[in-house]
Amino acid sequence: MASHPAQSVGQSIPRLEGQAKVSGRAEYVHNLHLPGMLHGKIARSTVAHGRIRSIDVTAARAVPGVHRIVTAQDIHAIIPNPYYGPAFHDQPILAVDKVRYAGEPVAVVLATDPHVAEEAAGRIVVDYEELPAVFDEVEAVTSKAIVHEVLKPAGTFPDLKHLQGKRDTNVALDFRLRRGSVERAFKEAAHVFEHTFRTQQVLHVPLEPFVSVAEPGEHALTIHTASQSPSFVRIEIARLLGRPENRVRVKVPYLGGGFGAKLYIKLEALVAALALLTRRPVKVSLTMEEQFYTLTKHAATLRIKSGVSQDGRITARECEIWWNGGAYADIGPRITQKSGFTAPGPYDIENVRIDSYALYTNLPPAGALRGFGIPQLVWAYEGHTDMIARALKLDPVEFRRRNILREGRQQATGTAMKDAAIDKVLERVAARMDWGKPFDRGSGTLRRGRGIAIGFKAVIAPTTSVAIVNLYADGSCSLYCSTVDMGQGSDTAMAQIVAEVLGVPLESITVVHPDTDVTPYDMATLGSRSMYHMGNAVKLAAEDARDKLLAMARELGLPAETTPIPDIFRKKYGMQAGNIVGTGSFIPTYQSPNHETGLTENATPFWMVGATGVEVEVDTETGQVKVTRLVNVADVGRPVNPAIVATQLSGASIMQLGFTLFEKMEFQAGQCTNASLAGYKIPGMLDLPSGIANETVDAVQHTGPFGAKGVGETGTFGVSPAIANAIEDAVGVRLTSLPLTAEAVYRALRAKEGRALGDES
Amino acid sequence: MSPFELLEPRTLREAATLLASAESSVRPIAGGTAVMLMMKMGVLRPSCLVSLRSVEESYSGIQKGPDGALRIGALATLAALERSPAVRSHAPVITRALKTLSNVRVRNVATVGGHLAHADPHMDLPPILIALGASVTTVDAKGGRSLPLEKLYAGYLETTLSRGELIGEVTIPEQGKRRAAYLKCTTRSADDWPALGVAASLDADGGAIRDARIVIGAATDTPVRLVNAEEALRGARADDATLRRSGEAAAAEAAVIGDQHGTAAYKKELVRVYVSRAIRAALSS
Amino acid sequence: MTRTIKFTLNGEAVTAEVPPHWNLVDLLQNRFGLFGARESCGQGMCGCCTVLVNGAAVSGCLYLAVFVDGAEVSTIERAAPGGRLDAVQEAFIARGAFQCGFCTPGFILMARQLLDEKPNPTDDEIRHYLSGNLCRCAAYPEIIEAVKLAARTRKSGRT
Repeated sequence: MASHPAQSVGQSIPRLEGQAKVSGRAEYVHNLHLPGMLHGKIARSTVAHGRIRSIDVTAARAVPGVHRIVTAQDIHAIIPNPYYGPAFHDQPILAVDKVRYAGEPVAVVLATDPHVAEEAAGRIVVDYEELPAVFDEVEAVTSKAIVHEVLKPAGTFPDLKHLQGKRDTNVALDFRLRRGSVERAFKEAAHVFEHTFRTQQVLHVPLEPFVSVAEPGEHALTIHTASQSPSFVRIEIARLLGRPENRVRVKVPYLGGGFGAKLYIKLEALVAALALLTRRPVKVSLTMEEQFYTLTKHAATLRIKSGVSQDGRITARECEIWWNGGAYADIGPRITQKSGFTAPGPYDIENVRIDSYALYTNLPPAGALRGFGIPQLVWAYEGHTDMIARALKLDPVEFRRRNILREGRQQATGTAMKDAAIDKVLERVAARMDWGKPFDRGSGTLRRGRGIAIGFKAVIAPTTSVAIVNLYADGSCSLYCSTVDMGQGSDTAMAQIVAEVLGVPLESITVVHPDTDVTPYDMATLGSRSMYHMGNAVKLAAEDARDKLLAMARELGLPAETTPIPDIFRKKYGMQAGNIVGTGSFIPTYQSPNHETGLTENATPFWMVGATGVEVEVDTETGQVKVTRLVNVADVGRPVNPAIVATQLSGASIMQLGFTLFEKMEFQAGQCTNASLAGYKIPGMLDLPSGIANETVDAVQHTGPFGAKGVGETGTFGVSPAIANAIEDAVGVRLTSLPLTAEAVYRALRAKEGRALGDES
Repeated sequence: MSPFELLEPRTLREAATLLASAESSVRPIAGGTAVMLMMKMGVLRPSCLVSLRSVEESYSGIQKGPDGALRIGALATLAALERSPAVRSHAPVITRALKTLSNVRVRNVATVGGHLAHADPHMDLPPILIALGASVTTVDAKGGRSLPLEKLYAGYLETTLSRGELIGEVTIPEQGKRRAAYLKCTTRSADDWPALGVAASLDADGGAIRDARIVIGAATDTPVRLVNAEEALRGARADDATLRRSGEAAAAEAAVIGDQHGTAAYKKELVRVYVSRAIRAALSS
Repeated sequence: MTRTIKFTLNGEAVTAEVPPHWNLVDLLQNRFGLFGARESCGQGMCGCCTVLVNGAAVSGCLYLAVFVDGAEVSTIERAAPGGRLDAVQEAFIARGAFQCGFCTPGFILMARQLLDEKPNPTDDEIRHYLSGNLCRCAAYPEIIEAVKLAARTRKSGRT
């Protein structure tokens, strides 16, 4: 082997795909045009809940250039049971008999010209018998409007095995955790506090909207898709089509953003069915508007109650959370459970009770969005924490310090905290915010305030990653892994791991993009799991290749550590020939929580910790809030690529800034009324706080590859409550519903002055 | 978008004639940003578009006339307006406002005439130009007419232009010592459509205000002059009490509409605050 | 109903048949296989479809294809002389000013325009000029740094 070059892991190496991306030549599914390809455009439901009486396609068919119009009936002919979903098989490829949300796909028009297909789709007339609908997650528990008559658990994930088929309920899943006795502790507590918080429905808005292409072949059906989960797509499409896995091939190039939207099945089942029906390649690319009808982030209602002792220790916490899952469960049930168990926050609390409910409603489906439910929980528990501190006249940092969950202590599940630098993160964010120093509180109509918040997350478990390192005779190599680079920089980071293990330059490594015929299984690129899971698998694969190479050198009597790689191959094969294949497979240990108590000794392989501090300026005449400073501090283990880690923290926090201050899907009778970037605003350059700082604390994830762990979501955790805490610090009003609009702040200010705005009763 | 026929007349009069003679689904297109948006949304499905891009170049000009008035051709782009030294010296409030009007790409293609004739109350220039006392000259098959810009607006996305009548030119009279400011308030992201735009143009000397024009947009269904707010300023000293009275009068008289940017009750408060802030900004400009 | 238009595309004279309802992005993708300008919001707000027409940046999604008849059109695919990356592209790589890359061509074209107009932009000028481009990965702080780096590089005459 070559002598070890400069270390790769731990270096801020520019992204491998930089040149392709800055010259507009990076490969996205969006670029794919196949000979004979048809474009599909979707006709969508105009009602939130209704029985389909009839679908009239006469006018649509009359549009010149229409190739075919497809409804659920046609799909049935090739897929007898056309329902998919990771937790429940509840979502039809096209609406069957009834629609459950406004915007649900009902029919598809196919044409070679997408403009023609779009024009015709607008002419499909569907007659509905409208049914009573339910939109609110708390009302959904008792509502007579039932979204799904029968629940159909998928049985895909081992941790959701207990889900049962039920009738006449909107509760898809209820997760409970019981630890100690909250009743007794509340009775004994010196103070009891209870608050209710709400979050709104928001959207991922990847700038590359959903897009999939299916290409029928003699042996296999190939799906090119902008997906974060190629392996899942293959398995689920194979199940729908009744085929073995090897007759479905899923390929994923770069993604133009994902953020949790492009997971599981989105357009893949539809394009697969369309391609099989027409025996032609079919592409469906959604518009920005259609993204609003595809997958969203859960709105939630969160009730939280705490008992606090005389000396400011939290002795009991009760959390009740209702997750608005919309019309199809998607991964909502897993969010309900996996995030549910961290609802008490990163605090050391003896007595805990959690009830977390996944609800069906007649809104567009909700799923994972950068944090998997954690930002909603942190919004509640960190607002609650500040409200308690304020009531007890304790400094918010000091109150947190007194209660923080320290290394080795048991989290609510009973799992002992390990490699979770919660205390360090808290101390660093306080230090970066100059918390102990005097603070300029503004004057006149411009008041200033500051706030912090800290959150944590258990990575989802148990999940598997497999990697292959293929070392060629000239010393170059390919890494085969199904992690999807959607902007998080995984290609670069994974290549850095290979370079580190093999001691080869980064430039000699090619990362082969997900192609299920070529790259091995990976659960999915989600929940900040890849750096740890795939990183470990890649490291194992590289080590396997290295060990085989060393063995080969020894066999040939060569000094293993110093012989250049090409020389080893040349000696072995007499020419430049052969290759060495190293494989690695990684699945962490895990223990399912007890269904009755929610307790487990091993809830997760690693914890993510993130805190945010902000300073704000509030205009007391208008309620306008300006975030002037934003400090993100995180425990990410030991970063493989510090620069990429910093951009992940920064990007996540700015995204969460939008969810905090203004992003909101608006609905009228279940119909989204702001489904465009004109109506739904996301942060731009002018919304940036003037001072943004990101810091990772000195920490190691001992079970991670080179001490690393995930970071994609961490920057989102603390942003929302930190801003609400800062607003209260500035002007003395507490907001408990997101988003924190200028109007909401202004109304609260007026109410506090005892002169509520004229239109309020 | 559905297919349509595209006509490209060489003169503005010819364009007006084509529009007058044709059926109702014929629409003019210049920069095309608003027309394309509406066509993509399916709210506009013209069978024919009449492009104004090949008409006489004189309709793209910006120049100061012998009477001291500034004449802006309807086909001048917003970018041309933004860069024009004549505009900057005649009415710097326009130059300043253009910096946050839509974005660079839209300003590069959108025209002044299209911006005014679209009659979307969220547009920034109508309140400003009305406050500056601007008028428009129109062109139709028979000739044309002149009207004060405020008379152009009939309602939300509605103008008093008849079919076959196109804006040819905008005239901004000599401003003398008048000072003006425009403040816009966005309530979501910074690049959002405004919840409110306030233009104020003042003739003030020392501490006293001789005359004021206060115009708001975005919060109402057309840009509208607030005469009571103006009246509260006339002849008054420019002190805090006067500004407050003007703001109160503005909030009382404005027929504010609630939408995604804020409820009507909240926007009334914004009118109150921003009118007095705009006056202050004009005084210190 | 198609029309024949002639224009210059990335320095080369070209001819294309276009239906009048195609926008500039349709034209570039369907007739020339250029995918660097891409439609995202479809409303001229995100800048992913930025194309230069006669030297001015436009939103390709709101620009009728037939309107480029006789014009000079440049896209992100137009290489710098010698096929190298230009100062702005190099700066974007050096500062990590992108993540998913979908919005990147638009930002780069706009940043070049900005530097042509204002060789030494302030932070405020950069923010205002680029406020019409959206990046959902929110690489904004890195983009600002990249533009400033490119300004320095261009000034030193290295590109």
